[in-house]
Amino acid sequence: MTTEAAYPADDPHRLLSEARELTQRVRRDQRATWFPLLVFAALTFAAIPATRYGGHHLDCRSVPGGGVCRVYSDTEFVYWPIAFVLAYTAIAAFYIRRSRARGLGTRVRPYTVAGIIVAAALTAVALWEFHNPPVDQNLLGLNLTGLPNRMASPAAAIGLALLVLAWAERNRALLLLTIAYLVAVLVPVTFGGVPNETQHNPPWFSLPLAFQGSVLLLGGIGFAVAQRPLRSPAP
Amino acid sequence: MTRHPANGLDDTVHQRVRLGILTIAHEGRRVEFSYLRDNLEVTAGNLSQHLGVLESAGLITIEKGYAGKRARTWVTLTKEGEAALAVEIAQLKLLISQMERTGTPTGPSERSIMGLCLCSSQIVSTPA
Repeated sequence: MTTEAAYPADDPHRLLSEARELTQRVRRDQRATWFPLLVFAALTFAAIPATRYGGHHLDCRSVPGGGVCRVYSDTEFVYWPIAFVLAYTAIAAFYIRRSRARGLGTRVRPYTVAGIIVAAALTAVALWEFHNPPVDQNLLGLNLTGLPNRMASPAAAIGLALLVLAWAERNRALLLLTIAYLVAVLVPVTFGGVPNETQHNPPWFSLPLAFQGSVLLLGGIGFAVAQRPLRSPAP
Repeated sequence: MTRHPANGLDDTVHQRVRLGILTIAHEGRRVEFSYLRDNLEVTAGNLSQHLGVLESAGLITIEKGYAGKRARTWVTLTKEGEAALAVEIAQLKLLISQMERTGTPTGPSERSIMGLCLCSSQIVSTPA
């Protein structure tokens, strides 16, 4: 027996289930999660040479029981703000173009606005810290493992923006990926390297960026495969 | 006496295609005519009629324009449309839960339950 025969056209069950099915279909059509993920993966990978060959300032002080070092990278104040603006412009343009082509609006505005606000706020925090270095650091000779520093990092800005995207797209898979990404970004992992006063630009600087970029790249590829348009089989 | 949830159903919204238009417009914010036609699987003429009903009721706005040389028609949900959709969904859920509570069958035999006909887009009281 078909549904048509079992339920009249305006049966409450049928109307409600059709409305739910349409909602899911529209949300599927609106999603293009792979694009922002690939854009941010590209930005993260491009940050490796920018960090490696860009300017660094190492400010080390001796304190009782050890030393405190602060590493200032020019990429924090130059590369990332410009990269974020370009990325959000590209993402917004992509979603708008796709929306016009499909004839279906999207909720890209809150995502883009939230992303730019987060990026601007984190750049402001970095600038503030640059001019007001905290005096109470841990005494292990390195303060890069501190959670506040990681919260104010470009990687965290990407993660927070992806959380907004997960909300805008009602995308649970992206929410899970973003939570995993944020945990990976915020959990202190030093990749075995500790700077010293003579090593201003150690090679392991790029490892966290390579790791974060790989997570975003793999996520982007995964979503691209999952969200690819289904083609009907050839006759 | 408790009001039956079927009394809260709006004839304008309680119809498969029109409910579909409101649902898609709610999720999509601004939807093109061809997207609605393809996803609701109706003819252009049929869709135009339903859009006319919803526009007359103030539940949607229709905007005509061009994308390059192609004529386009965009549909946007109004605040009244948002509210009407929310009420309709809530009433449908209430009606279903009431049917399940009372053990009323929800198939074709429900057509005359509680003195109500649910067999067309019109909710009509039928004599007991």
